[in-house]
Amino acid sequence: MNLFQSVTSALDNSLAKDPTAVIFGEDVAFGGVFRCTVGLRDKYGKDRVFNTPLCEQGIVGFGIGIAVTGATAIAEIQFADYIFPAFDQIVNEAAKYRYRSGDLFNCGSLTIRSPWGCVGHGALYHSQSPEAFFAHCPGIKVVIPRSPFQAKGLLLSCIEDKNPCIFFEPKILYRAAAEEVPIEPYNIPLSQAEVIQEGSDVTLVAWGTQVHVIREVASMAKEKLGVSCEVIDLRTIIPWDVDTICKSVIKTGRLLISHEAPLTGGFASEISSTVQEECFLNLEAPISRVCGYDTPFPHIFEPFYIPDKWKCYDALRKMINY
Amino acid sequence: MRKMLAAVSRVLSGASQKPASRVLVASRNFANDATFEIKKCDLHRLEEGPPVTTVLTREDGLKYYRMMQTVRRMELKADQLYKQKIIRGFCHLCDGQEACCVGLEAGINPTDHLITAYRAHGFTFTRGLSVREILAELTGRKGGCAKGKGGSMHMYAKNFYGGNGIVGAQVPLGAGIALACKYNGKDEVCLTLYGDGAANQGQIFEAYNMAALWKLPCIFICENNRYGMGTSVERAAASTDYYKRGDFIPGLRVDGMDILCVREATRFAAAYCRSGKGPILLELQTYRYHGHSMSDPGVSYRTREEIQEVRSKSDPIMLLKDRMVNSSLASVEELKEIDVEVRKEIEDAAQFATADPEPPLEELGYHIYSSDPPFEVRGANQWIKLKSVS
Repeated sequence: MNLFQSVTSALDNSLAKDPTAVIFGEDVAFGGVFRCTVGLRDKYGKDRVFNTPLCEQGIVGFGIGIAVTGATAIAEIQFADYIFPAFDQIVNEAAKYRYRSGDLFNCGSLTIRSPWGCVGHGALYHSQSPEAFFAHCPGIKVVIPRSPFQAKGLLLSCIEDKNPCIFFEPKILYRAAAEEVPIEPYNIPLSQAEVIQEGSDVTLVAWGTQVHVIREVASMAKEKLGVSCEVIDLRTIIPWDVDTICKSVIKTGRLLISHEAPLTGGFASEISSTVQEECFLNLEAPISRVCGYDTPFPHIFEPFYIPDKWKCYDALRKMINY
Repeated sequence: MRKMLAAVSRVLSGASQKPASRVLVASRNFANDATFEIKKCDLHRLEEGPPVTTVLTREDGLKYYRMMQTVRRMELKADQLYKQKIIRGFCHLCDGQEACCVGLEAGINPTDHLITAYRAHGFTFTRGLSVREILAELTGRKGGCAKGKGGSMHMYAKNFYGGNGIVGAQVPLGAGIALACKYNGKDEVCLTLYGDGAANQGQIFEAYNMAALWKLPCIFICENNRYGMGTSVERAAASTDYYKRGDFIPGLRVDGMDILCVREATRFAAAYCRSGKGPILLELQTYRYHGHSMSDPGVSYRTREEIQEVRSKSDPIMLLKDRMVNSSLASVEELKEIDVEVRKEIEDAAQFATADPEPPLEELGYHIYSSDPPFEVRGANQWIKLKSVS
C-alpha cells in the first residue's frame, strides 16, 4: 500500500472496531482530495462519513463537541495551511479541556488529520509545516509519519489515544512509494522516536519527508567521509522522546536536526535547547539546524528554499571538522 | 433621363472607389446607443432595485466586448501554458465569469477599491494591469506584477488588493478598506468579493456585522458559480439564497452572465453605499467553464451537458455580441476584428511571459519585513545567509 492507502486502511479499521467513530471534513465523502477516505462512505454509510461546509473553525469546534460526549471524532483539515482558523479551537478548547475541568471532561477521542509539507508546486498556501505552532501548546499531541507502514500504526494510535491528536500526513509522500502494510490493525506507540540506522559519529534527527533526505545524507557521509551516522525519526513532535535523542547524542557527540519549516522558532530549536541542557559536556560541536529560510514558503524559489541533502551534507561536514 | 444619368454616375463613382469593404462599413449606419431590457433583481430588505432597462452606447459596448474577450482568451492561454507546464502551481480560471469582472468595473470608478479571492486574473485585468504582467506573474517571471513571487493567487494593482489564497480571509479585509474609505471621506466604496463556498466561513459574518454596525461603504459580492470546488451549493449551504445571508444587510440577486445587469446592479449598489446608508450585498449568479483549478477536470461533480448548456444559452460574450449586432450597435465583422486584435495581444503577452527571466535568487529573502538597513535572513544552514531588502 502507499501512504494514502494505508491511511484509508487505518480509518477502515477504526470505523469497524469503534461504532462511535465518525469521519468528517471538506470533500471526504467522495474520497477526499488525496483519496484518503475512498470507499469508506459506501462501506459505513453517510451518517459516519460526511462532508462539512468550508469552515475549519467550525469543523474542529464541532469535532471537539463530538469528542466531549465520548464518540470518536476524526476530522480532516484539507491542507495544514488552512488549519489556522481552527487554531483557537485547538489551542484554547481542545488542549485545555481536561485541565480546566479537573478531568471531568475531555476531548481525547478527537483526531485531526491534515496533509502537510512541501510538494514541489504548492507555493505559499499548500506547503506549510505548522508543527512548531502546535508544539508550543501543552495538552495536544502532534504526530508525523514517514512511510505507509508508520502512518497506519501511528494514526491508529492517535485515534485510540485518550488525548486530542493532530496527525500531519506528508502530502508529497502520498503516492511516492508503496510498502507491505498489514490489513489488520496494529499500533505504533506515540512519543517514541525510532532509530532507523545506528551509527557512532553524528546523530541526524528529522520527521516526515525530511527523514528520507537525512537517510540519503547518512549514506553520502559514509561513502565520502567515512562517517557513521545515527538516523532518528522523531515521529511524535510533542510530547517528544527526549531520552532516545539524548542517549544518541551522548554516544555520538554531534547533532544535526533538519526540517522544512522556517529556522527561527522551528521545532529544531526546542530539541537543540534541551539537548544542550542535558548533554552539554558530551557535545563535540555546536548543534546544527538545517531548516527552511525565515521567509514565507516561496512560489518559484522552492528548490532553493528547502533544506535539501546538499545543505544537510554541508552542515554535517562542517560539524565533523569543527 | 437626367435622374438616370445621375444614378449611373453615382454607381460608377462608387464602383471605382477602393477598397469597397471600407466604403461599405463607413456608409453603414451604426446606432449610437440602444436600450435593453434586463432581468429584474430579487430584492432583500429593499423597496426598489436597479432599473429594468439600461442604455448601452456603442463605445461602451465595444469596450466591454473587447475586455471580456481579452479575459476569455487570457484564461484560455493560461490553460494552454499550464498544460505545457510553463505555468506551474495552482491556477484558478474564470472563463464564463467575464461579465462579473467587466460588469463590476463598469459600475464603479477607478478610484474605488476591490478585493477578491483567488479566481482573480479577470479582476487584475479590469483593474488596470496588462495581460503581459498577468501572464508573466503566472509563469513566475521578473516582469510579473508581483515580481514573480506571488503567482496566480497573489496579483495586486492600484486599488486592487488581490488575489488571496485563504478562503474567506479577504472579506474582513474588505470591510477594513471600506472603513478607510469612510474615514478618508472621498466618497469611495469597496467591493469585497467571495464565492459560494466562502459564504459559509465564520469571518464573513463577522465582517457583515461590523460593516452594518458602523455603516461602512462596503459592497459584499458573492460570486455564486454553483460549486465550491466540487461541492454544489445545495450540499454546502443551509440557505442558498446568498443575497439574503447578510440578514440585516439589504441584498440583490443579479444575473451574473448578463454584463448589463451586473453593471446596473453595481451602479445601484455603489450609489446606495455612497449615500451613507451602509453596506449592501450582491449575489451574482454566474458559472465557470473550467474546473475549480487546473487540477480539477470539472466533470466529476457536474455533467458535460450542463456546461454545454450554459455555454450555448448564457455565455456572457455571446449575449453581449448578439445584443449589439441585433440592434446595429456593431457589425459581426467589426467584432471579429476585435477578436483578431485580442488574440494577437495575448500571443505577444504569452511570448513575453515565456521568455522573460525568472527573478534572481537573492530576491528569495526580499520584502519579508520593511527594514532600513537590509537584515540577514537565517536559513537552511548557518553559513548561507540571504539579505532581506525592502
